[in-house]
Amino acid sequence: LKEITVNLINRIASAGRFLIVAIAVVVSGCAVQLAPPYDKVVADGLVLVSTEAMTLIATVSPGSKSDTFSVRAEKYDGLIGKVEALAIQAGARPMPKNNVTDAINRSLDKRASQTLPDDNFTPPSAHAIKKVAETLTKMRDTDRKQGITASEAQLFKGQTVIYLDQATTYENFLQR
Amino acid sequence: MTIDKIQLIIDMKAAASGVLKADVATFRGFSERQLKAIAQQAVSIELGVATRQITDETREFFLDGLEDMALSFAKTLRGLILVTIEKVWNAVVSVLWKALSTATGLVLPVPVLSD
Repeated sequence: LKEITVNLINRIASAGRFLIVAIAVVVSGCAVQLAPPYDKVVADGLVLVSTEAMTLIATVSPGSKSDTFSVRAEKYDGLIGKVEALAIQAGARPMPKNNVTDAINRSLDKRASQTLPDDNFTPPSAHAIKKVAETLTKMRDTDRKQGITASEAQLFKGQTVIYLDQATTYENFLQR
Repeated sequence: MTIDKIQLIIDMKAAASGVLKADVATFRGFSERQLKAIAQQAVSIELGVATRQITDETREFFLDGLEDMALSFAKTLRGLILVTIEKVWNAVVSVLWKALSTATGLVLPVPVLSD
């Protein structure tokens, strides 16, 4: 009788444990990944290109003449190449896509007055870095063609800083 | 050993609050920086056009940039929010599974949602 009782208690305990685990699975779900992994190479790359971009823009901040463009040409090309490579690296990471991300994106879109374009396959930082490259390219081409006014230099700087801030904030935030 | 429901709720709340407190400060700082900088950019474009310091070569580029920067800001903010939701979710699930492991005496690895 004692053996049967112990056996029964063990079976009930075992069933109870299973029940607790089963409830947890149903109620809590699982751990999720809703954003790409942190990439130190991208984060460090952003620090490097930020410094180089600000240094280059500082040289034209009072305005520049196209006849001195050749002095800056190599710096422009090198920096644009680095930024474009960084954009590729940042965008190469797959964005997690599952039922949870879909549901959250739908919910966020519902709350917004305007729906954001459905571009959930690329990290937002990749877009921002690509825009930094486009800004520097436009700046180089304008500098070569006609030189840059002080106001234009200020606006190129402002646009570069805004996109770099977006990319850097997002990439650093991925370190979780 | 049984699960203390009240303690479990307190622990889950603490885990979620810890993540939210730090992340909301980041959201606030990022949003303020971005909105100020985008507004300054708009003012500078207006001034540059009025004083003819912005040439025809760059005017459309800066105007298009203004629109895209605002959109990119919104997308970045959405990306940050997704990271925070992930952190809160996983912190709560971790507390829950730790409590279950303790109660059952079993080593229960937290399952990961794959799709």
